[in-house]
Amino acid sequence: MRVQSAGAMGNKMSARIWFGGAAAGLAALAAVVGWMREPRQYRASPPLTAALDQLRLMPNAISGTPPEVYFALGKPYETTAFDLSQGKRLYSWFGCSACHGEGTGGKGPSFIDGWWLYGPSMVSIVASIRDGRPHGMPAFRNRMTTDEIWQLAGYIKSLGAYTASVTATARNDEKTGRPAENRAPAALLFNQGPEPLHPDQGPTP
Amino acid sequence: MTRDQGARVPLDVDISDAELERQLKETWSSKPGLWGAISTVDHKVVAGRYIATAFVFLILGGLLAMAMRLQLSQPEARFINPDRYNQIFTMHGSTMMFLFAVPVMEAMAAYLVPLMVGTRNIAFPRLNAFSYWIFLFGGILLWVAFALDTAPDVGWFAYVPLAGPQYAPGKRADLWAQMITFTEVAALAVAVEIAVTVFKQRAPGMSLDRIPVLVWAMLVMSFLVIMAMPAIMFSSTTLILDRLVGTHFYNPAEGGDALLWQHLFWFFGHPEVYIIFLPAVGMVSTILPAFVGRPLFGYMLLVMALITTGVLSFGLWVHHMFTVGLPRVGESFFTASSMSIAVPAGIQIFCWLATLWAGKPVYKTPLLFILGFIVTFVMGGMTGVMVASVPFDTQVHDTYFVVAHFHYVLIGGAVFPLIAAVYYWFPKMTGRMMSERLGRWSFWLIFCGFHLTFFPMHILGLWGMPRRIYTYQPELPWTSLNLFVSLSALVLAGGFLVFFVNAIRSRRNGLPAGSNPWGAATLEWATSSPPPPYNFRRIPVVSSLDPLTPGENELPVVAGLRTDRRELLVTSVVEALPQARESSTTDSVWPFWAAVATSVMLVWSIFTPWAVVWGSIPVAITLIGWFWPKGSPEDES
Repeated sequence: MRVQSAGAMGNKMSARIWFGGAAAGLAALAAVVGWMREPRQYRASPPLTAALDQLRLMPNAISGTPPEVYFALGKPYETTAFDLSQGKRLYSWFGCSACHGEGTGGKGPSFIDGWWLYGPSMVSIVASIRDGRPHGMPAFRNRMTTDEIWQLAGYIKSLGAYTASVTATARNDEKTGRPAENRAPAALLFNQGPEPLHPDQGPTP
Repeated sequence: MTRDQGARVPLDVDISDAELERQLKETWSSKPGLWGAISTVDHKVVAGRYIATAFVFLILGGLLAMAMRLQLSQPEARFINPDRYNQIFTMHGSTMMFLFAVPVMEAMAAYLVPLMVGTRNIAFPRLNAFSYWIFLFGGILLWVAFALDTAPDVGWFAYVPLAGPQYAPGKRADLWAQMITFTEVAALAVAVEIAVTVFKQRAPGMSLDRIPVLVWAMLVMSFLVIMAMPAIMFSSTTLILDRLVGTHFYNPAEGGDALLWQHLFWFFGHPEVYIIFLPAVGMVSTILPAFVGRPLFGYMLLVMALITTGVLSFGLWVHHMFTVGLPRVGESFFTASSMSIAVPAGIQIFCWLATLWAGKPVYKTPLLFILGFIVTFVMGGMTGVMVASVPFDTQVHDTYFVVAHFHYVLIGGAVFPLIAAVYYWFPKMTGRMMSERLGRWSFWLIFCGFHLTFFPMHILGLWGMPRRIYTYQPELPWTSLNLFVSLSALVLAGGFLVFFVNAIRSRRNGLPAGSNPWGAATLEWATSSPPPPYNFRRIPVVSSLDPLTPGENELPVVAGLRTDRRELLVTSVVEALPQARESSTTDSVWPFWAAVATSVMLVWSIFTPWAVVWGSIPVAITLIGWFWPKGSPEDES
């Protein structure tokens, strides 16, 4: 009998501990539920993409103001691994490598030499892809959705980033001819030696 | 038994039962309070937590299933977006397999095996406590990831290259792989404890042919765990290495092999099915005799069938991979071996039928669930023989037919016996009976709900509905059946709700059970309900397969164990002849801290490989604390 009552007492005590633990766990869970870190939109919502399309560019089409909604979303196209990886897939699907190689340039400019002909801002890159640029860059407005253009722009921006990012795109299984995207920015790549690659545009940054 | 030369140590001879109980209680009880609860190494307390936690994960996994049924209840539904749906089906599978099915079976083993073999605690009790904490932290890791919208979305099998570095950006697949590491460490720890407990801690006289079938089943299960889990630990570790460090185990472009993943995963994954199913076989074989009033038919056949199933289960894994394009000879071999598993399964079924046939069944809830198990499992086995054939499997691969098949064998083959086992052993664990009325309600709701939910999935699969789709078009002929399935799933969920309500209510308000409410013959019923911290006042001596056969009121016992320290009896492997008195470790908070340190290291290593270097220092410190002699009497031997 004594054993049984001791057992019951133990049950009550452990029940209290478990109740407390469960309550603390639930509270912690509730606290983090609101904090969605990496939402992935397989189908971007039409009003959002319509708003994302509203860039305000400078008159010379270089740089400008991104739409407010981009900041409200938390700049996803630069900060989530999913969007960067989608951008990387779009890079090969839409044949970017035909002119830009693996980002190393070719007929078109390189993305990893530290030079941005139209500036390194997202708006410029989005505008380049959407509207095209002189000397051969075609417009992709009618071939890609706004969502895809932003994803691709985010990926291209990450290729020639000046600072390291904690967000990385997926790694290729195949070997690549250039450094991995998730490296820290390689100062060496930006150092072009005595002969600048773009003498017409002044000294390298 | 020999006595100590000095004879100064207090022994359990020449004292009254009450005085003996007082001394044992003092020696074996845990301290009260939070730290006492955290540092306890009592196998019953630890296993009770394990079981309760695993059932919490069953509820969570079940809620995910209901979410999927909501989304699929109508075509083009918009309740859940595709990305969340991918996470949900991955979480459902991973939770049910790794956080519910395997842990709950091992927890039942950790609770019951020491009682059934008549010893006072499980072997390596601190490892047991460590195992629980690791399991808990692994489960929390996965579910916190889900709450943060970074849950794995690559399926519970995480095939590469889908889960590899190129196609699975972010940390989702890494979280899955590391959760595997947590649960496998926990599972391996319990498996080692069970194997040692069965081999070395059986009551004197319990030779190999007197071990209860449940204990045999748990022993075979432990060996399956020990031999199968290293394959998945290797694969989850190499997946993380591929993704984080840049190795190329699964990258064909650099000389790796994507198919290697499938082989490694299913070399674990198929025995996994039997890791879940064999304990259920043991439960059914142990519960059945108590409700038919006669001993089990074909004890030796059943034990042989258990071992055969365990051995064969390592030769079947390729039948999960029939459609990847393997050589014909390989496919034929694995078709034959897959079909041959039906032989030991058939032997088991016929032994149970013979037991039922020759006895006088008393239709209480546990027996109802066992009958439900036999019906459902046979149906699942039939579709299993069907999908073992390559041409048929090629047709139904990745359709709802396969979903129906494995839910029939997993729920029918393992969850039904598990619920029977909960109804059956609940009185032993809590000292109270579960309500028979609610028990019948839960059985009929679960049984009917199950068949109404999963049988139509066979038809959906034959009509071509693929697995893992988040929606389907209204033009496809699947709409009405899907709605029917979703509504039936509500019945099934209602049955589980009744079961849980019954368990929670009966825990406080059930009728007192007494030590042996079912008139069962195995040793766990020889002690009080719930058992005291020391399990048995005196360790019993066994002279037959059914030590508590009705009519025999006396159970011979061992005398001469010390009462001032935790001591149990070590016996020989085959005949269970007494060999030595061995101490059993005291409570310690270090297993908890070791689990915390290990968890920090494992979670950290998702983000940087250096975590393995720096994180191992706290692990080493906690392990030193764990094994440091504290000068207690238990340290002597």
